[in-house]
Amino acid sequence: MNKQGKIAALFLLPYLLIFTIFRFGPSMAGLFVGFMEWNIVGDAAFAGLDNFEKLFRDPMFYTSLKNTMLFLLMVLPPLVVFSLLLAVLLNQKLRYRNAVRTVSIIPYVLIPAVVGIIWNWLYDNNFGILNYYLKMIGIAPIEWLTNDKYALFSVAIVTVWSYMGYNMILYLAGLQDISKDLYEASTIDGANKFQTFMKITLPLLKPITSMIITLTLINAIQIFDQIFVMTNGGPGTATLTLVQYLYGTAFQNYNLGYGSTLGIAIVVILIVLVQIQSRLFKLDN
Amino acid sequence: MNVKKISVYVLMAFIGIIFLFPLFWSLISSVKPENQIISYPPRWIPENFTFSNYSLVLKNHPFLTWMWNSVFITVASTILVLILTTLAAYAFGRLEFRGKKLIFTLVVSMLLIPIQAYIVPLFLLVSELGLLNTFASIILVAGANVTSVFILTSFFKSIPKELEEAARIDGCKDFGIFSRIMLPLSKPAVSTVTILMFITNWNNFLWPLIAIRDNSLKPLTVGIAQFMGGANSTAQFQYGTSLAGACMAIIPSIIVFLSLQRYFVEGIANTGIKG
Repeated sequence: MNKQGKIAALFLLPYLLIFTIFRFGPSMAGLFVGFMEWNIVGDAAFAGLDNFEKLFRDPMFYTSLKNTMLFLLMVLPPLVVFSLLLAVLLNQKLRYRNAVRTVSIIPYVLIPAVVGIIWNWLYDNNFGILNYYLKMIGIAPIEWLTNDKYALFSVAIVTVWSYMGYNMILYLAGLQDISKDLYEASTIDGANKFQTFMKITLPLLKPITSMIITLTLINAIQIFDQIFVMTNGGPGTATLTLVQYLYGTAFQNYNLGYGSTLGIAIVVILIVLVQIQSRLFKLDN
Repeated sequence: MNVKKISVYVLMAFIGIIFLFPLFWSLISSVKPENQIISYPPRWIPENFTFSNYSLVLKNHPFLTWMWNSVFITVASTILVLILTTLAAYAFGRLEFRGKKLIFTLVVSMLLIPIQAYIVPLFLLVSELGLLNTFASIILVAGANVTSVFILTSFFKSIPKELEEAARIDGCKDFGIFSRIMLPLSKPAVSTVTILMFITNWNNFLWPLIAIRDNSLKPLTVGIAQFMGGANSTAQFQYGTSLAGACMAIIPSIIVFLSLQRYFVEGIANTGIKG
């Protein structure tokens, strides 16, 4: 036992050293800095709950929270439903299905900033190809990214485009795990394809759906790269999300204390949402 | 071919177009001179084919340096993660020691805390250590990866005890068991972690954006983000060079993905955890 302890220490030491310095330490300190009044030029001073009081009265915080939640609501349904339908389609024995699978994953492996550049070009108000085709079919051009009514939705479309292939892989893995016997049995029982899908496929994919929802929650609450490149939070504050606001507060205005408070708020929101998610999914079991 | 089959293939073609069209259109636009990029109506085949946007990017920006920086940071981070976390996961998965449960719980609980929550203290710490504006700041932070410990520990746990006991009877010590039995048996988990770390570190954005100030030290993600001030910024920018930069940045991602596709897909399917 004791000897194993010494060996274990040797195996663990390098990782725990780096982990403590660069992950665990800062995480614990994050809690602490959130309670400080700290600007990069001034000295830090303990501010108690001042930062949290400020947070609850900060209209920008509510704006960024609202935008982040709206964004989550926009991306979640399509990222579950479309990915599932895509996986079901590409799970059939079809020619070229591997090619389509490959193609649908490509957006996921691209750098988000690159995806942003590409879509900003498609979305361009005057010269973008999307507005060109809209005009051709007789629809007025849309100010995709510069109208505060559409900007967040336009970014959400891009996020769905990027992540659909990733979720499809997860669903495909789930579909391939379902035993063929179950389908045969249900065909013998006279169920049609739709009934089989609803009664067998969907319930068996539930753990994967749950995981996809959790991952989408986590990624959507932390959305930053795409927004930073595509709209920089604008127009006005129409696409200002929580992390974008944190970045501006802590690293552009150098209000480190309050920036950290926002960081704590993000974690709390994340944990609450993940908890709600897992409760909901357990409840209907 | 009946109607149903045809409609399925039409649907597949439509899906393919949705995913590929944005890339193709950017590629086509990037080889046009600026005044023709914004010509109306859009032209599918460039009138004057030119690489001038590409040479402008290479001339005005340290583009190849950014790319090299990204390669270096990604490879170094991935290797560091693999070394640190396989060792740690062996201890968590195969050895008995006091406080194991507590330490493991502490480590894994960090999965719940995203970087935004500790990025301010991390920034202060790294600047205090004099590591701002260095590759080390990014690689060391990447080294403290939790996902990898989690995946590898559960895999190591699943390897049967008998193999280890047989090796011990043959006189194998712990490091021998680790390197000659555990690692070779864990190829699926290790390759999953490798792919995950590649994607995570290659696409890493927020932390390098904050930690690296020097233009020539930036990774590609941060460097290329300057090409786009956001649609609502007032900065003048040119589509030609932005798109040329984007197309060049796509190349390594696509090459790596296509050549390792099987591992990519397996890696994602095995874990469903990103970052």
